[in-house]
Amino acid sequence: MIDLKKIRVLVVDDSRMSHAMMDGIISRTNFEICDYAKTSAEAVEKYQIHKPDVVTMDMNLPDADGLESSKRILAVNPKAKIIMVSAMRDASLMMQGRAIGISAFVQKPLIANELLDTLCMVCQSDEDSLKILEESYIKTFIKVLKKNLFSLAGVHSEVSYALSEESKLEINGIAIIIGFTGKPIGRSIIHTDFDTMNNFARAILSRQIDEKITEEEANECMEETANIIAGRSVSMINDIFKDRELRITPPGIIVGNNLSIVNPKLTTFNIVASTKLGDLKMNIGFAGGE
Amino acid sequence: MDVKLINPFIDAFTTIMPQIGFQNIVRGKVSVRDKAANSLGVTVLVGVTKEIRGNVAYNMTDETARFIASIMMCGMPVAAFDEMAQSAISELSNMLTANAATNLTALGIEVDISTPSLTIGDGFTIKISDAQYLVIEMSADGHNIEINIALK
Repeated sequence: MIDLKKIRVLVVDDSRMSHAMMDGIISRTNFEICDYAKTSAEAVEKYQIHKPDVVTMDMNLPDADGLESSKRILAVNPKAKIIMVSAMRDASLMMQGRAIGISAFVQKPLIANELLDTLCMVCQSDEDSLKILEESYIKTFIKVLKKNLFSLAGVHSEVSYALSEESKLEINGIAIIIGFTGKPIGRSIIHTDFDTMNNFARAILSRQIDEKITEEEANECMEETANIIAGRSVSMINDIFKDRELRITPPGIIVGNNLSIVNPKLTTFNIVASTKLGDLKMNIGFAGGE
Repeated sequence: MDVKLINPFIDAFTTIMPQIGFQNIVRGKVSVRDKAANSLGVTVLVGVTKEIRGNVAYNMTDETARFIASIMMCGMPVAAFDEMAQSAISELSNMLTANAATNLTALGIEVDISTPSLTIGDGFTIKISDAQYLVIEMSADGHNIEINIALK
């Protein structure tokens, strides 16, 4: 949670109008502008004097561009939080910005909500981000998982979840990987053993317990289940947060025994849905920070 | 799937591999596949969204994965495909796909890529598409990487 201490912002921009707009948006919030800098040199100097919590950086400054100026500030403090402010929402610019360590981007003209959301997001500690991930993302997936296991296979499920301590996920059976792009990027993996997969497929296709089911049919049932759960969860998240633009990739299906799936840089949660057909497991991971 | 979509991936490979220390990059044959691929031991899946959607799977042996990780870590010997080596191969797959994404943008196709998922094991299969997809065999200093591409 953001405490009552004001969060100090250094505004780097050579235009007086931008200063006034920024001030109009930021005053009466939990943020305060500690100073303005009009040039790159001034930005670095004032950063060292004020040690602000966050910097807003305009792309065009008289003596250097915003990327170069950010580099100079990050050389002083590699953990500096910098928000790039630019009239262009240029993908390659954003990529370069990200590569040098800029935290976020906002577009000009500034929109109050967008700027404040971005400031809040950038200033959150890792602990806060985890809480948001859990409350807004993971709980949405769980809700969708429960609801759709019931509508697809007619089963009730007891769902438990926990933050995963391991970067490695053990697979024995089938795993459906669906990637996420947008904010943040990540992926979901629904996985289960072959018996549970066949039980679910029979329930979904309304087959009798002793009726035959092909491997292909069973795989397709799991694939479709994973697709529905990821798709609906992501659209719910997009409805809540208008700016996330989360999209899902088509599923990748992995089948085998004694496998491990590794995603080194993700924060992941393990979700287990216990049903009378067996345990269906889900692991959801997002890249940290944004 | 449109064959012109594979060049961005070949170009990415020939651009990135020399940057991480490989000298001899050879483009092998391109073929079509419509079934699940058999993993060679280490397979990294990266998803693609936006104007075109799909998956890219980089498939290689454990030995190749260790060899590449070793080159990436400035020649440090990699006896076992451990966490550090896994991280290097994930990062490489990310770099290759991100570079291919930039090349696709140059063709007027905007794409976003997801995080890489690296799978390790013996005798597993990976299916990235219901339809036909393309497989490019690339080699770097004699080590082969099979790039499976399903985009539409």
